[in-house]
Amino acid sequence: MAAARRLKRVAISQPGFLTLNPKVTPTDLVSSRRKRVNKNKKKNWNKYSDVQDVEEFLEDVRHQERTTGKGKSSRPLRIDLILQHDSLVAPPKDVLAYQKPNAKKLRRTAERAEKLAANGVVPRSKKRLLNRTVVDRTSKKTETEANNNPERDFYDIWGQETKDLGEPWYLQQTRKKLVKRPEKLNEKPSVLPAVEVIAPGGSYNPDFFSHQELLREAHEVELKKKKVEDKLERQLAYNKADTATEETILREQVEGLVEESEEEEEKDAPKEDGEEVAVGAIAVADKKTERQRKREKAEKMKEQQRLTERRQTEQQQQLFQLRSIKTSIKQQEETTQIRQKRRKAKEEAQKAQPRRLGKLKFQPQDMEVQLSDELAGSLRQLKPEGSVLMDRFKSLQKRNLIEPRERAKFKRRLKVKYVEKRAFKEIS
Amino acid sequence: MGGLQKKKFERGSATNYITRNRARKKLQLSLPDFRRLCILKGIYPHEPKHKKKVNKGSTAPRTFYLLKDIRFLLHEPIVGKFREYKIFVRKLKKAYGKTEWSAVERLRENKPTYKLDHIIKERYPTFIDALRDIDDALCMCFLFSTFARTGKCHVQTIQLCRRLTVEWMNYVIASRSLRKVFLSIKGIYYQAEVMGQLITWVVPYQFSHDHPVDVDYRVMATFTELYTTLLGFVSFRLYSSLNLVYPPKLDSNGESEPKEESEDDYAMNSESYLEKLSALSASLARVVSSADEEEAQLDQFPSEGEDMEKMEAREKELKQQEAQKKLFEGLKFYLNREVPRESLAFVIRCFGGQVSWDKSVCIGSTYDVTDETITHQIIDRPSVGKQYINRYYIQPQWLYDCVNAKILLPVEDYFLGGTLPPHLSPFVEEKEGDYVPPEKLKMMALQRGEKPEQEEEEEQEEDDNGDEEDDEEEVAEEKNLKKMEEQRSQGKSLHVKVTPGKLKVENKARLEQEEKAEEKRLAIMMMKKKEKYLYDKIMFGKKRKVREANKLAAKRKAHDDSEKAKKKKARK
Repeated sequence: MAAARRLKRVAISQPGFLTLNPKVTPTDLVSSRRKRVNKNKKKNWNKYSDVQDVEEFLEDVRHQERTTGKGKSSRPLRIDLILQHDSLVAPPKDVLAYQKPNAKKLRRTAERAEKLAANGVVPRSKKRLLNRTVVDRTSKKTETEANNNPERDFYDIWGQETKDLGEPWYLQQTRKKLVKRPEKLNEKPSVLPAVEVIAPGGSYNPDFFSHQELLREAHEVELKKKKVEDKLERQLAYNKADTATEETILREQVEGLVEESEEEEEKDAPKEDGEEVAVGAIAVADKKTERQRKREKAEKMKEQQRLTERRQTEQQQQLFQLRSIKTSIKQQEETTQIRQKRRKAKEEAQKAQPRRLGKLKFQPQDMEVQLSDELAGSLRQLKPEGSVLMDRFKSLQKRNLIEPRERAKFKRRLKVKYVEKRAFKEIS
Repeated sequence: MGGLQKKKFERGSATNYITRNRARKKLQLSLPDFRRLCILKGIYPHEPKHKKKVNKGSTAPRTFYLLKDIRFLLHEPIVGKFREYKIFVRKLKKAYGKTEWSAVERLRENKPTYKLDHIIKERYPTFIDALRDIDDALCMCFLFSTFARTGKCHVQTIQLCRRLTVEWMNYVIASRSLRKVFLSIKGIYYQAEVMGQLITWVVPYQFSHDHPVDVDYRVMATFTELYTTLLGFVSFRLYSSLNLVYPPKLDSNGESEPKEESEDDYAMNSESYLEKLSALSASLARVVSSADEEEAQLDQFPSEGEDMEKMEAREKELKQQEAQKKLFEGLKFYLNREVPRESLAFVIRCFGGQVSWDKSVCIGSTYDVTDETITHQIIDRPSVGKQYINRYYIQPQWLYDCVNAKILLPVEDYFLGGTLPPHLSPFVEEKEGDYVPPEKLKMMALQRGEKPEQEEEEEQEEDDNGDEEDDEEEVAEEKNLKKMEEQRSQGKSLHVKVTPGKLKVENKARLEQEEKAEEKRLAIMMMKKKEKYLYDKIMFGKKRKVREANKLAAKRKAHDDSEKAKKKKARK
């Protein structure tokens, strides 16, 4: 019912709506009765209430306030009322505000300050101001103080005389003075020089003989390496004829299993001989008789006598052998001296060798040599051989400054498991 | 028994040494930190004489340090800094993980750093000690300055190394102390004499950049850290000994001033100063500006124990050295683009010469190619385009050879396109009897002052003569041989003739006797010593008898003769 009415109203309100009766217009038909609205709902306050008059009044008031000071009400603000003095007692007089300094006194203080300033004494407040250091926030402290700062400053470290800052015992206890370095540490660990110049054959344009010399040395190194390899090969080599053929394998496996009469007899005969021999060796010896013992004693005595006589005659004869004795002594001394010299030379050579300082032995680097066809004719075409970095590193190892080490390998704690993807499992 | 038994491995060498891991635990440092500390302080592992004793019976290869050295390390203040750094890293990682960027910045600003000055003072108490160890430092610094600035090692280290090497080269130029140069296939070896110490260092070629993999960069970086500090302090001292300003400044009073416009092309403003310095073309500023220095002739007093001869020899040496220092004075060089500029500029300036190069190569070129007063142009190409008349076009080896020979060698051997004479090593000292290459002999002759031209002519003549003589001899021999061959082929008899021989009659009996005697002799030889002794005795006895018999017979004869003579006399 309501819907039909609504539809009618909409249709009537359309423009160009024609009524059947010419006297009746569409406006008469629409507005018959005002619709009843619920003004209690918030939604409808804004829609159906007319507040135009209130708005006008408020606008008026605001306009008045804008143009005049306070507007309608000319009451003082509350805050002003609070801040009023509500006591009848007058505030005390500020005596100091009325006090003017004595001109004389002022003059005297000024003169004193001048005198002090002339002497260089700065008043305390000024001193504190001056002592305030400006905080340098522009440059980073760590960068400037770092050891490898490219702009770092150097000073005369050997020229400064050390000042005695305090008692030595005090300095030692407070760790301000450094512990003395033990003398042994100043010795160099090797007698080798720091920089070993390459042989003259290593020049970029060498002369023939020195280049040949260098090539010969390199050749010898290679020979040694080859020798070691050959030795290893020889040790591992085996004769192909010694490989087990099927026949020998069969015989080995069958040994002792196959029994033949002939073989048994052969085996028995040598066995008996062996036993007899063995029996003979185990036979017990008879006891010695008195005679035998006496004889043995007499022999012993004779032997001893003979020896003593011989020794005596030797001693006597030594008098005549003095010359030969002298020569033999001389020879012995010579040999000992030779041996001493050899040992000393060996020690010296050992000093020049790199010491064994850790797990790995020192591996000398490959010799830097250019073959005859690699030699360049001019400095422009020179192709450098070997690297100075490697050379320095090896030199440090050779001089016992660091121990030879190899690169640390990557060791896994847990085993890695490899699993095929399902797709790949189907394929393979 | 009681408790005073001596236990094994409780005293002696076993207690003097400590293994590396034990030492590390004692110091409470990680292994790389421990290694760095040992390198900085100069503490090296030792190989004990009796490894079994020290290793408590086993011969496993271990690294040993002296216990006293490790105890000394405990007092080092840098150890604390290492620990602080470890904690800094830990905190930084945490802040990164929590993405607290303000904390990260704050931590980075307060990164713990350490300085090595006190270590230098402790390891090298005097300046001369430091000078003795400067070889290694120089090599490391030169090596690091050639590294690429990729970030594998700190870029700051590389920059610092470059600055220090440039300062060193400028010092050597100012003090004219370079003595020997050697171009090898590995690098260039220099030797200078500074305050009586001979310092040798090697510089790698600028164009070689292969970095081997198995070199421990951390160890090298630690060494470089120590050596840069050392070299810096030494440089300061050396500069102050020459009255030069340190850090070095270019002398603004010099004639040749680089033009302002072209500077922007080469380097940023911050780096242009270092680049100008590294060009090595300008001289350094002095602390006290040197006006005309009058060198007063010092009175010569012979020191104790020296004769006049020795003093004169010393004076001669000094004069020679002075002459050597001014080797290239007055000469103007121009370097072409393909030659190693820095090395050649260094060598030329060290001996008083003037040098310049093309503007496009480097900053600091003082004069151009078209300058008429250039005396030598260093070129390494087979040919050159435009040739000026009053200058020599030579290859760079001439300069190095002149430095080694200490005189100006004749330029003719080093012209373009020709084969160069071999570059000999000045570090080789030949003893008497060793092989001396002919070039060196020639050089020594030149040094002695013989005129080069005549010598060359003489040599040429000699060579010609020698060749001629050789030729003649050879020709003569050949002729002889040919003759003989001809003769033989022609069937003629040569000098040798065949004549009939003489017949010898053989006596059979004699032969038998001889054979027997030989057999006897053989048997005697083959006898044993004892038997021979007996035989000799027997023979001696026999012979004695025979001798006695002979004696008696002789006596008898004598007696008979005398009797006869008496009778004769009596008769008469």
